[in-house]
Amino acid sequence: MSNQKKRNFQIEAFKHRVVVDPKYADKTWQILERAIHQIYNQDASGLSFEELYRNAYNMVLHKFGEKLYTGFISTMTAHLKEKSKLIEAAQGGSFLEELNKKWNEHNKALEMIRDILMYMDRTYIETTKKPHVHPMGLSLWRDNVVHFPKIHARLLNTLLDLVQKERTGEVIDRGLMRNVIKMFTDLGDSVYQDDFEKPFLEASSEFYKVESQEFIESCDCGDYLKKAEKRLTEEIDRVAHYLDAKSEDKITSVVEKEMIANHMQRLVHMENSGLVNMLLNDKYEDLGRMYNLFRRVTNGLVTVRDVMTSHLREMGKQLVTDPEKSKDPVEFVQRLLDERDKYDKIISTAFGNDKTFQNALNSSFEFFINLNARSPEFISLFVDDKLRKGLKGIADGDVEVILDKVMMLFRYLQEKDVFEKYYKQHLAKRLLSGKTVSDDAERSLIVKLKTECGYQFTSKLEGMFTDMKTSEDTMRGFYGSHPELSEGPTLIVQVLTTGSWPTQPAVPCNLPAEVSVLCEKFRSYYLGTHTGRRLSWQTNMGTADIKAIFGKGQKHELNVSTFQMCVLMLFNNSDRLSYKEIEQATEIPASDLKRCLQSLACVKGKNVVKKEPMSKDIGEEDLFVVNDKFTSKFYKVKIGTVVAQKETEPEKQETRQRVEEDRKPQIEAAIVRIMKSRKILDHNNIIAEVTKQLQPRFLANPTEIKKRIESLIERDFLERDNTDRKLYRYLA
Amino acid sequence: MGIQKDRVKFNVGGKIFETTATTLAHAGRNSYFGAIFDGDWNLSDSCKEEHFIDRNPDCFAVLLDLLRTGYLHVPPTLSEKLLFREAAFYGLLDHVRTATRGQFDGDRLRFSRSVAGQAPGDGTAIRGAPDGGCAVAHGSVVHVYDWNFEEHPTINFDYQRINDVGWADPGTLAVAACERLNRSGASAGGLALFSAGSGILRHRFQVAHEDQFKTYTAGALSFSSDYKIFSSCKGRSNEYGIGVWDLITGKQIDFYYEPIGWSLGEADRVQWLNATNCLMVATLFPRKDDCYISVLDFRDKNNMVWFWSDTGAPASDDRRVRDAVAAEEGMSICVVNEYEDLGFMDLRSSAGTVRWCSRSRLVMKGKLPEEPCYPKLTWHEGKLFSSMNDSISVFSGPDWVLTSRLRRSYGGSICDFSIGGDRLFALHSEENVFDVWETPTAAII
Repeated sequence: MSNQKKRNFQIEAFKHRVVVDPKYADKTWQILERAIHQIYNQDASGLSFEELYRNAYNMVLHKFGEKLYTGFISTMTAHLKEKSKLIEAAQGGSFLEELNKKWNEHNKALEMIRDILMYMDRTYIETTKKPHVHPMGLSLWRDNVVHFPKIHARLLNTLLDLVQKERTGEVIDRGLMRNVIKMFTDLGDSVYQDDFEKPFLEASSEFYKVESQEFIESCDCGDYLKKAEKRLTEEIDRVAHYLDAKSEDKITSVVEKEMIANHMQRLVHMENSGLVNMLLNDKYEDLGRMYNLFRRVTNGLVTVRDVMTSHLREMGKQLVTDPEKSKDPVEFVQRLLDERDKYDKIISTAFGNDKTFQNALNSSFEFFINLNARSPEFISLFVDDKLRKGLKGIADGDVEVILDKVMMLFRYLQEKDVFEKYYKQHLAKRLLSGKTVSDDAERSLIVKLKTECGYQFTSKLEGMFTDMKTSEDTMRGFYGSHPELSEGPTLIVQVLTTGSWPTQPAVPCNLPAEVSVLCEKFRSYYLGTHTGRRLSWQTNMGTADIKAIFGKGQKHELNVSTFQMCVLMLFNNSDRLSYKEIEQATEIPASDLKRCLQSLACVKGKNVVKKEPMSKDIGEEDLFVVNDKFTSKFYKVKIGTVVAQKETEPEKQETRQRVEEDRKPQIEAAIVRIMKSRKILDHNNIIAEVTKQLQPRFLANPTEIKKRIESLIERDFLERDNTDRKLYRYLA
Repeated sequence: MGIQKDRVKFNVGGKIFETTATTLAHAGRNSYFGAIFDGDWNLSDSCKEEHFIDRNPDCFAVLLDLLRTGYLHVPPTLSEKLLFREAAFYGLLDHVRTATRGQFDGDRLRFSRSVAGQAPGDGTAIRGAPDGGCAVAHGSVVHVYDWNFEEHPTINFDYQRINDVGWADPGTLAVAACERLNRSGASAGGLALFSAGSGILRHRFQVAHEDQFKTYTAGALSFSSDYKIFSSCKGRSNEYGIGVWDLITGKQIDFYYEPIGWSLGEADRVQWLNATNCLMVATLFPRKDDCYISVLDFRDKNNMVWFWSDTGAPASDDRRVRDAVAAEEGMSICVVNEYEDLGFMDLRSSAGTVRWCSRSRLVMKGKLPEEPCYPKLTWHEGKLFSSMNDSISVFSGPDWVLTSRLRRSYGGSICDFSIGGDRLFALHSEENVFDVWETPTAAII
């Protein structure tokens, strides 16, 4: 047992649970609380960051995170309550300054407190999902200062008052304003929106409602728009200077609504200063302003465009239907081009080349140009005029510009085939009389027509040019093979392909012997080189240059038509001829002969022949003698034929008829093409498709299409369906 | 040579350190050093004085080195735990975390550590958290570990059997548990959110059928990127289907009732497909006799846009599907059978047939482990991971070739594994051990 007694006692120290000083938490918190006070009193220079950080760390480490967090909140709340009292006490203008000052102080303090409590922010707050120190500090400011009952309304009113003052022209402290607004945005978007933006927008809306009413009563449209624009830029400026960028769209839409959208109709239709007035007086600046402002509101541009379109249509309608103005085709077309240029300029300078406006312009022109059935003829005449003489001395580039403009008008035409018809006639005259100024210009226009309407449209026109070219070669060949002909009169023949040229009935006449011999020689030469061809002489289209010596020996070269030459040559053999004698000798049809004699005898200054008795018209009993006293300043004298440049009424009818006639096969071809691919089609669809297919050339008349369908049925191209009479069937 | 102006002197626990403000700037504003040099504290210009910090100087040296070089070197004499605590004090934990682990790469995983716990076996699920921690469900409790494998308080849901867990966010864990059968009222079982740090119940998701709250058993769960949570639900009176809740409000927003002759409520796996905004739901053998895999579209009147089942296949067929995962890039669903054969189904064609990859059964050659586990699949960043017995295989490329195999012969078969926070966690079935696999940081040069 002694062994047992000898056993050493081991006395273990009683294990105390490690208990932290029960007052530890309170003590530590007191240190931190004092520090927070010092920070708020801007007395932080004596504080040790290391000590405070470590204390906060230890509190969290020893599970006093909750105490630290609530302590921080209550201390900060107490400080902010004090501050809000100070802010509230500030009088008048210093109110905002005081608020801003305290806000800056709070921000700085919050930053420092967050630094001290960083460990709590990371661990305790993270795991408990409570608001972090910085957002917490902001919401405390919001609840205790911004939403403090005695500050809340006063702050808003002060801000709105300042904005109002600035709107009425006073200068305000924008920097202070910016800082205070920045406070709202820092506190969160919802605070900014609810506590400032919404009331601000409401106040603005009210302000502009009153102001726009005032303006519209006292200003004309241009001035009103200037003011609206100024207000708009002011508001954008305001946003840039001291509001949140997200407010820009909202405030501009308020201005737009109150100043523009609500008064849109009234502005556009304003008497003596509205849109129509601006258009008439080329007020590009005002128009541009209107465009830019109206663009901002829904339906704004639609309103402007509609008014412009209806004005254009009205104006155009007057232009093309006024009988006075359509007297001179060149003037007529020139006026159309001028209108177009004017509106082109408006759209490009004021309306920012807006596509929808360009479309409106085009559709308006298309509308009224086709109101006048003679537009195709006039446009062709305009081109004729330009290509005859008008382009002399104009640079190539400018020629292109004019031609392009003409093409623009051409595009508007619905009856492009009518234009083609006239163009062909006019081109033929130009080519045969050698009056074209520029071959390049002619060809360039044909290329344009080709790109616009396709090969088919211009193939005949191109044929005409080819004829002119081959005729030159033929003449060279003819004189080459007949060297003896270099003496005596020169004959120039232009061989025209039938079909390419506008057909005119060949008017026969007896050519003078000298000429008819030459003609025979040419005929045999031509038929000798080309087999299987037939030549017929179109004497009514020819010209001649003849030399004449008058009574006192004055020598002149007369440029006359073939008919006139025939008549004048008769006077080589006799001095005095009666109408009847001339008619017998030349066999020129009476109407042509009369016109020809009229131009020889009755035109002042060009009357190479005297008529007895003297009168304007040619009678069957008249006598003609050579006018020996004829004088002229020029050696060369051009004796024109009395021709109506514009078509006379019967001629017009005739052209019209020819056009209608030409359309028939085209319509039929279109019908057959469509039916061949569709096999079966009902009446309405076929009309629609044919109209669509022929659109680029002309506007097909539905009754005409119907007639063509019937004709095709008669000729067994189509048949009506047995059961449904509205259906047509293609017969292969 | 002028005097360097940004020199800073520290006295840490009695040891003097000198460094520069530039080096300390690497710590970022949200750190002790960031605050110290902020203008408000008027400390930056007192560079001649030394700043005293009452902390461990050895750890400070390591952390200072981390700020200087970007690399963490822990001397063997220094405890990692101590170092991490010091890092937390200075607000440098994120720096330490990124310095210890490389970006996850399935083919460059290295075994990092084994973590053993006291719970009896029977692990049901392991889930890696976004920050590198993990949650392990054992029977009716969940063990939660932070990224540093410090264990947090365990989570239990009235000690109900837990079917699945998932991370709603780094601090919040969703737990799906069985309902308590002999308890009425809305207080037992189902799906709930817990604070990962404290283990406190945050929110219990409720299911209402015809405006009446009912108890239910929550099975598998999944989250969508727009803050919704999905779970398979088994009600008491045939109210089976998929419940959908809003994670922010906690309110139920939808319930997809399972059609007759189909299975949704007992699903083993639900997976949200970001690319198509659909949910894949799979009920697998042996929970049911047949497998049902479907894809649900909740936007358009709850439409089942794709489905597949092996109903009618003989029970002896060794191609019963044991797990399924949607590989989102290929728009296909990958399945695995008992022998780790992979099969694929195309989500774009409605006629679902499994295209089996006839990979040889490398693993099955030889002895069968005593307590086999069914294979599990995971799809992560274009790679397919599949567990079989005690190893995990990694498949890559369009033809899914085997590129790596992870194996540790301790703890028995792998009953579940998961990837999260740049780590792979594998839970073993025999011992309560889970393995952590990490990708090493890139070499310095």
